Amino acid sequence: MKIKGNYTLSTTPEIFWQMVMDPDVLEKVTPGIKELKALSPDNYEALSEVKVGPVRGNFKGNLSIKDKVEQEGCTLVIDQKSKMGNVIAEIVMTLAPEGEGQTKVEYTGEAKMSGTLASMGQRIMSGVVSTLSKQFFKSMEAEIAARKA
Amino acid sequence: MNVTITVNGKTYTHDIEPRISLVQYLRETLDLTGTHIGCDTSGCGACTVSVNGEAVKSCTMLAVQADGCEVTTIEGMAQNGEMHPIQAAFKEKHGLQCGFCTPGMVMVAADILKNHPNPSEEEIRHGLKGNFCRCTGYHNIVKSIQLAAETLNE
Amino acid sequence: MGNFIGKAVKRREDARFLKGAGTYTDDIKLPKMTQSAFVRSPYAHAKILSIDITEAEKADGVVAIFTGKDPCGDYGVPCGWQVDFKNGETMREPKHPLLAKDKVKHLGEAVAIVIAETLEQARDAAELVEVDYEELPAVTNPLKAMEKDAPLVHDEWEDNAAFDWCIGNDRAEVEAALEKAHHVTVMEYRNQRLAPNAMEPRSYIADYDVNGDRYTLYTSTQNPHLIRLLLCAFALGIPEHKVRIVSRDVGGGFGSKIYHYTEEALLTWASKEIGRPVKWTSDRSEAFLTDAHGRDHVVKSKMGFDKDGKIVAHLTDEYCGMGAYLSTFAPAVPTYLHGTLFQGVYTTPLIHLNVTAPFTHTVPVDAYRGAGRPEATYLLERIISKGAQEMGMDPVEIRLKNFIPPFDGVEQEGYQTQVALQYDSGNYERALKKALDKLGYEDFRKEQKKAREEGRLLGVGISTYIEGCGIAPSAVVGALGARAGLYEVGQVRVQPTGKVSVFTGSHSHGQGHETVFAQFVADKLGIDMADVEIEHGDTDQVAFGMGTYGSRSLSVGGSAIIKSIDKILEKGAKIAAHKLEAAEDDLEYANGKWTVKGTEKSVSFGDVALTAYVPHNYPEGLEPGLDFSSFYDPGNFTYPFGTHIAVVEVDKDTGKVELQRFVAVDDVGNIMNPMIVDGQIHGGVAQGVGQALLEEVVYDEGGQMITGSYMDYAMPRADDLPMIETDNTVTPCPHNPLGVKGAGEAGAIGSTPAVVNAVVDALAHLGVTDIQMPLKPQTVWKAMQN
Repeated sequence: MKIKGNYTLSTTPEIFWQMVMDPDVLEKVTPGIKELKALSPDNYEALSEVKVGPVRGNFKGNLSIKDKVEQEGCTLVIDQKSKMGNVIAEIVMTLAPEGEGQTKVEYTGEAKMSGTLASMGQRIMSGVVSTLSKQFFKSMEAEIAARKA
Repeated sequence: MNVTITVNGKTYTHDIEPRISLVQYLRETLDLTGTHIGCDTSGCGACTVSVNGEAVKSCTMLAVQADGCEVTTIEGMAQNGEMHPIQAAFKEKHGLQCGFCTPGMVMVAADILKNHPNPSEEEIRHGLKGNFCRCTGYHNIVKSIQLAAETLNE
Repeated sequence: MGNFIGKAVKRREDARFLKGAGTYTDDIKLPKMTQSAFVRSPYAHAKILSIDITEAEKADGVVAIFTGKDPCGDYGVPCGWQVDFKNGETMREPKHPLLAKDKVKHLGEAVAIVIAETLEQARDAAELVEVDYEELPAVTNPLKAMEKDAPLVHDEWEDNAAFDWCIGNDRAEVEAALEKAHHVTVMEYRNQRLAPNAMEPRSYIADYDVNGDRYTLYTSTQNPHLIRLLLCAFALGIPEHKVRIVSRDVGGGFGSKIYHYTEEALLTWASKEIGRPVKWTSDRSEAFLTDAHGRDHVVKSKMGFDKDGKIVAHLTDEYCGMGAYLSTFAPAVPTYLHGTLFQGVYTTPLIHLNVTAPFTHTVPVDAYRGAGRPEATYLLERIISKGAQEMGMDPVEIRLKNFIPPFDGVEQEGYQTQVALQYDSGNYERALKKALDKLGYEDFRKEQKKAREEGRLLGVGISTYIEGCGIAPSAVVGALGARAGLYEVGQVRVQPTGKVSVFTGSHSHGQGHETVFAQFVADKLGIDMADVEIEHGDTDQVAFGMGTYGSRSLSVGGSAIIKSIDKILEKGAKIAAHKLEAAEDDLEYANGKWTVKGTEKSVSFGDVALTAYVPHNYPEGLEPGLDFSSFYDPGNFTYPFGTHIAVVEVDKDTGKVELQRFVAVDDVGNIMNPMIVDGQIHGGVAQGVGQALLEEVVYDEGGQMITGSYMDYAMPRADDLPMIETDNTVTPCPHNPLGVKGAGEAGAIGSTPAVVNAVVDALAHLGVTDIQMPLKPQTVWKAMQN
C-alpha cells in the first residue's frame, strides 16, 4: 500500500526536527502509542493500540529512524506485529521551510501488510492511515502550540 | 451488565458481557438458533431481526444496545403454529433452498412490506440488497414477497 | 406419470426452515461442550520459528492448546484422487497436516488450536499465542509457479508441479490441422479463482465418548460416509465402526463441503484428548481463507475452422492451480471433470488438451459448482463465438454448423467423443431453437441495431453447453485415479404398518430430497407421499453412501432407491400371491395393491407389509420382513445440456454491465419436480453470472488475500439479477430407471460464457473480441477505450 501526504506545521524545520527526534514527544503525539522504549539511538521498541473504524488491535515491534539529514528529512522504518496482522513500512519524510516560520512536511512510502489487515482491503486501510497521520500532525500542532505558550 | 429485552413477546433479564452482540445473545443465551450468522462484516443479512419494528442486522448491534427493546425473531413470526403469510408465501413460491439465509430473508421481507405494501419488483430487489442468498438467485424470493404482498393486502 | 412425479410438489422441509427450526451444526449444543478458535498464519509462506503458548494457557477458561508439535501434527488429511504425470511419475501428494509444524504454506493455514469453555475465551486466548515467523517469498499464480525461479511450495520436489496430464488426439496431428486451418481463433485468459460461499460457514462438533470408546462428529458436510471413510482410514487411523458422522441440515455446499477438512480431523482427535465435546464454527473471514476455492485455470487455446466455419481442430494448454495442498477431489477437477468435456456439443474431429497442475501458496482449490465443466464450457462457448465474430458469422449459424446431430441413445447409439466419453442422448439444436424463440432472437437483433444507432450498447450472448454428471461409473473413475467407488446406496424399509422409511446416502443441503425422493418413492409404490419419510445425513442410520456432488443425487442416489423398491415389490408379490392363493405371474401391482389379473381379488401394500412382519400365514422358505438395501453403480455418466442466452446493456460512459434478460432452456432428462429444477437453474445461473460479472478471489504478489470479506468479494445481490426465464426440453437418460440427468450444476455451467459473449457482442463494433472476467465496470470501460 502506498502512503503519501503532506502537512504544513506552524513551526520551523529546526524546532520540528528537534521534536521528532525526541522520544518523549513522539510517544505523546503518535496516535495509539502506549510505550516507546529506546533500544539504541534512533531505534525504539513501540507498543501501541490502534482503534480506527473496524481496525482495532495492539501492535508491538520496532520503530527506527535512518538516513537522517538534519532539518531536511529522514526515513522511518516501522515493523509492527499484531494479532490482526503485521505491518512493515518505510516512510521517507522530507522537511522544507515554508512561509513565515512554517514547515512543510512531505511523506511518502510503502507499507506491506499481512493477515486480516491485508484482507480487510486497502480502501479501509488507506483511510485508517490517513486518519492516523492527521491525528499525528494535529497532536504535533497542539504540542507546538503548547511549547509556544 | 444487566439487560432486559423483550423477545417474541417474552421479557428476559440477563447479566451479560457488554461485548456480546445481539445475535450471540439470541443464539447462545436464549437458544433462539433460528437467527443465523453468515458473516462478520454485516454483509450477508442472515442475522436480520426486528428491533422495535425496524429490520436490524443483529450482528452489528450489541445486546446491551437492545436493552429495553422489543425484538422479533423468525421464531416469533408464526402465530399459534400457523405460518405468517410471508412464511407461507416463501413455501408456496419455493423462496428457499438450503434455508440458511431464509430467516433473515423473511424478516427483511416483513420490513420491505411494511414500507411498501404494494412493492414493485425494483423496490423488492432494492430492499433485499443487504441480504445474500447463494441458492435461489433471488428469483423465487422476489416472487414470494410479491405473493406475500397480495395475501397481506387481501 | 403417477400422482407426484413431474408435479411441482411443495417442499416438506420448508416448514422447519421457515420457522427457524432447522438444525444446522452450529445450532447444536452438547453437554460439557467446549469451544475452539484457531491461530492462523498471517503469511502465505513462512518458517515457524517458535510458538509460545505460555500466556495463552494462563488465560481464563482455557482447556487445552495444541500446536503442530503435539501428536496431532503428525496426522494429515488425504487426497481422494490420483492423477500421475504423463511420464509415469507418481502424483506428488504432499502431507496436508492438521496443524502446520515447521512451515506454513498458505495464508490462513492453522498453526494452533485453542480450546476453552466459551467461544470468547477461546478467541481471547488465541490472541495471546505468540508465533514467530520468518516470512518467505510466495507464488500465487499457477503460470508463475512453473517459472524457473519460482519459490517452491514443497521443498521435497524440484518444481511446483503436482502432476501433468493430457487427453484427446495426438498433439502433432492437432497442430498440423491447425496449420492448415482456414482461420485460427486464439484465446488467452485466466478463469479466475472463486470462493464458493455457501451461506452457512463450515461447522463441526466432535464428541468422543470415553466409556463407549466411540466418536461422533457433527459436521456440515455434503457426504457423511465419505468423511467417515477418509477420517478413519486415512486421517486418524481409527476404527470406522467406532465413528458416527452426523450431518443434519446443511446451509448450502456448492462443492465446498465435499472435502475432508483438517479441522474435522483435528477436532475429532482433540475431543479424545480432552475427553469433552469440542465445537468450531468458521467465521466468514476464515471461510474465505480456508474453504476450498474453485477454478483458477490459466488458459491458452487455439481453435481452427475451415472456410465454412466448421471446427477442424482444437488445441489447449492450461495451468491449473491446486493451491498449497491437494484437496479431496482436486486432481480430478482440471482433468477428468474438465478435459472430457472438450468435445462440447460439436463434431470437432481433433482435440488435444494439456494440463499442468502446479502447487501455489494459496488455499487448496477443489470442485465448485460444476467443477471443471464450467471451465471447459467457458472456453468452448467463448472461443466458438469469438471465431464466429472474427469470421463475420452469426454465433447461431456457427453453432448449427457444428452441432452433433440428435441421438436418443436407444434407437441411435450414444455419441463417442474424441475425449474418452460416450454421450448418452442429446438434441442440441432443439434446445437452441427453443431458447432463440423464447428470446425473440431476430427481433432482438433489430432492436440492437436501432439501439446502436442511438448510441446504446446492447448485446446478446449464446452458450450451448453440455455437462457430464451423475458421477460416476466406479470402474471408469477407478481407472482414472479415483480412490473410491462412486456408486450410491438406497435402503427402503417398509414398516409393519405399511409406512415407508427411505435411507439414502445422498445428502440434501438445499436440493429438497425429502420432497423429491418421496415423490417418486410414493408413485413407484402407489402410496401417499405422507407415508414416506426420507432419512439422510447420519452414518448410524444410513448403511452407506457416497454423498451429493456432481448433480448425482437423483440419477445415482435415486436409482439405488428404485433398485430397492424393485426388490420390495418382488418380495411383496410373493407374499401377495400367497395371500391371494394365486400365482405370482397372475398378479399385477398398481395403486398400492396387488390384484389378480382380470379379477377383483386384491391385497393392499399395507396388508402385505403387516404379513411380512407378522408371518403367521406366510410363503414357505421366504424370510420375514420387507426391507432392502441396494448399491447402484451407474453404467455411464449422464449428459444434461441446453442453451443459455443473456441480453446485456453496457453503459457507454462507465462500462457497467446491466444484465437485462436471461433465458435458460435446459435439458436435464425427465423432471421429477419442475419447481425444484427451476430453482436449481436460477441459483446456478446466479453463480455463473457472479463469475462473469462480479466475483474474484485476489491474492496479491506476497500471497495476501485482498478480497477476504463481503466488502471486497462481490457476490450477486438481488438487484444484480433479472428474473430468469427458464424452460426445458426433455431427452430422457437412457441408462437409469428414472431417465433423469441432473440439474444441480447446469445453471452455473451454461451461464458464464453467455454473459461474457453478450458483453463482447455489445462492444463488437468497437473492435472488442475478448474481456477478462470478472467484467467489472473498469475492465469493460478499459476494453472499450482500446
